[in-house]
Amino acid sequence: MKNLRKYIWIAVVLPALISCSKDDKDPVANNVTLHFNNTFKNNTIVLGNAASTTATTNTSAEGQVHHFSELKYVISNIRLIKADGTEIPYNINDLDKGATVVNQAKNETLDYTLSNIPSGEYKQIKFGLGVKQELNTLDQTKFPTFYANAGANETEMMWEWGAGYRFTKLEGFYDSDNKEMSIHTGSTVEGEEGAYTQGVDTYRDITLNLTSNAVVGRNAPKITIKADFDKLLSGKTNTIKLTTGTGMNDNATPNIHTAVQMTKFVDNLGGDGLSDITGMFSIDGVEN
Amino acid sequence: MIDPGMKKVFSILSILFLLQSCNRDDIVQPVSYNNPELSLNIPTGFPALNNSVNANKPTKYGVELGERLFNDKRFSADNTISCAGCHNKSDAFTDNNARALGIYGRVGLRNTPPIQNMAFMKFYNWDGKILQLEKQPLIPIITHEEMNSSIVEVIDKISDDREYKDLLRKAFGDESITADRIYQTIAQYLYTLISAGSKYDKIKRNEGDTFTESEARGYQTFQQKCGSCHSTALFTDQSFRNVGFPLNPNTDEAGRARVTGVPADYMSFRVPSLRNIEYTAPYGSFGQFPTLRSVLDYFDHGVLDADNLDPVLKENGNRIPLTEQEKEDLIAFMKTLSDPAFAGR
Repeated sequence: MKNLRKYIWIAVVLPALISCSKDDKDPVANNVTLHFNNTFKNNTIVLGNAASTTATTNTSAEGQVHHFSELKYVISNIRLIKADGTEIPYNINDLDKGATVVNQAKNETLDYTLSNIPSGEYKQIKFGLGVKQELNTLDQTKFPTFYANAGANETEMMWEWGAGYRFTKLEGFYDSDNKEMSIHTGSTVEGEEGAYTQGVDTYRDITLNLTSNAVVGRNAPKITIKADFDKLLSGKTNTIKLTTGTGMNDNATPNIHTAVQMTKFVDNLGGDGLSDITGMFSIDGVEN
Repeated sequence: MIDPGMKKVFSILSILFLLQSCNRDDIVQPVSYNNPELSLNIPTGFPALNNSVNANKPTKYGVELGERLFNDKRFSADNTISCAGCHNKSDAFTDNNARALGIYGRVGLRNTPPIQNMAFMKFYNWDGKILQLEKQPLIPIITHEEMNSSIVEVIDKISDDREYKDLLRKAFGDESITADRIYQTIAQYLYTLISAGSKYDKIKRNEGDTFTESEARGYQTFQQKCGSCHSTALFTDQSFRNVGFPLNPNTDEAGRARVTGVPADYMSFRVPSLRNIEYTAPYGSFGQFPTLRSVLDYFDHGVLDADNLDPVLKENGNRIPLTEQEKEDLIAFMKTLSDPAFAGR
């Protein structure tokens, strides 16, 4: 009888202890790394100048061969969505802690680590291509780190005349004679969200379902996000033919820093925000 | 020791005291310095103020600080150019360059816009990108072809300036210099730059002046052929129009369409005010025209065609026909819009 009681005690206490120790080992939060794989279709992009023989080339739906010498874009407003639908925002109102400039020329920028993500299973990720309007003010005193990352004009990811950040900056060459292409995007809107008085909003919110759940806890998962720049000219929304010149419809370099032709590229890269909420992005895989 | 009633009195007293000290913090600070609002001398017939003026009313010390900042060369990366470097008072706050010149002789995209009557404008810059003047000062500071600096760099350079500290204290109650205070005080200063002292104004106000015969004929022609766009007391209706001027070869240029993304705005620019136009040569968005005469000749001979060419021109065979006499008279009239006191001439 006494022994039995002892065993019952052990049977009751032991699992409790075990589950306790399990709680101790399982962290309440861990890192999630976003890896950006910038591609033309399935080939990871290699940059190169006009005469480069090593640069990755691509052919658009219109038959234009092209390659890039520079490739940069801003990712911000990152949110991870748990299997139960709970949304975990990641420093979405702090560009210093929650936004990054992905630069194909700098390997270290291709991985962005989200720290202190609550343990749990995640099924979806949302993020912005660009900077949402209320933060797009070039406020160097508020976000000095992001301001520096975005440029201090070294990378020219700031749009001086528009007083906002550039969201995408692509430089490269097209056609057999390697004509220059220079595609910059950014917002020009004025006023409050929902009641803009002028300009175009080129911030795009992206939603991607993970190919398998990312399990945060003991593991720090790595989510590989593919950005397929084939979509730039051959997108879901627009099929674009590049032309060089000074006319209103010439889009390869002239006016590219302007809002007229820009929106077509933006809708291809970041989706139109309505029927297309993925743009050029997809999930390559999740490593737990 | 202390009876409960007494305790209650104590606690009420101490709470009251706390409340009072809270109140004191809130209230005393603004009255601890005396920075009177300046009353803007609003000329009769001028349009309503831009709403931003009411949110950032010029004050005695705010304007004084803003004027000094406007003239401070430390705003540029190499300390060679102030705002006033391009916005020179004697040229109605513009310069005589076709396109603005920044540090290291870098040439900008466009002609320096004059600064006058800003408090009454709805749009700033030739493409109307900026709607609130407080958002403007940052742009030349960071632009590669202008000052090529950053607001933090500027603040670092000027934060120990004793005159600024003194003015900051007088204007805001403390000495800390912030980006917003820089933007606000420069805008306050610019709001006070009102030009309405021309011969034309004096005639309109019946102050004894009269037009010469040529000026009077010019005024007639102006009303017939120019006044629909150069309307209101500002001599601009603040609309954006493609008037078929020679195109800026810089590939960054698209006019108003650069901002709006609307193809109909391609190569459209804000109708310029004609006030002090005598002082602001050369003319056009990138200084295409050296003289007023060359602008009028161009309109007379015919402008570049475009899909979105302004209807006023399209309806007249892409030109504004003018006789030689009309041109002379128009120029005589436009010179009556000069305000020598404003330009300090």
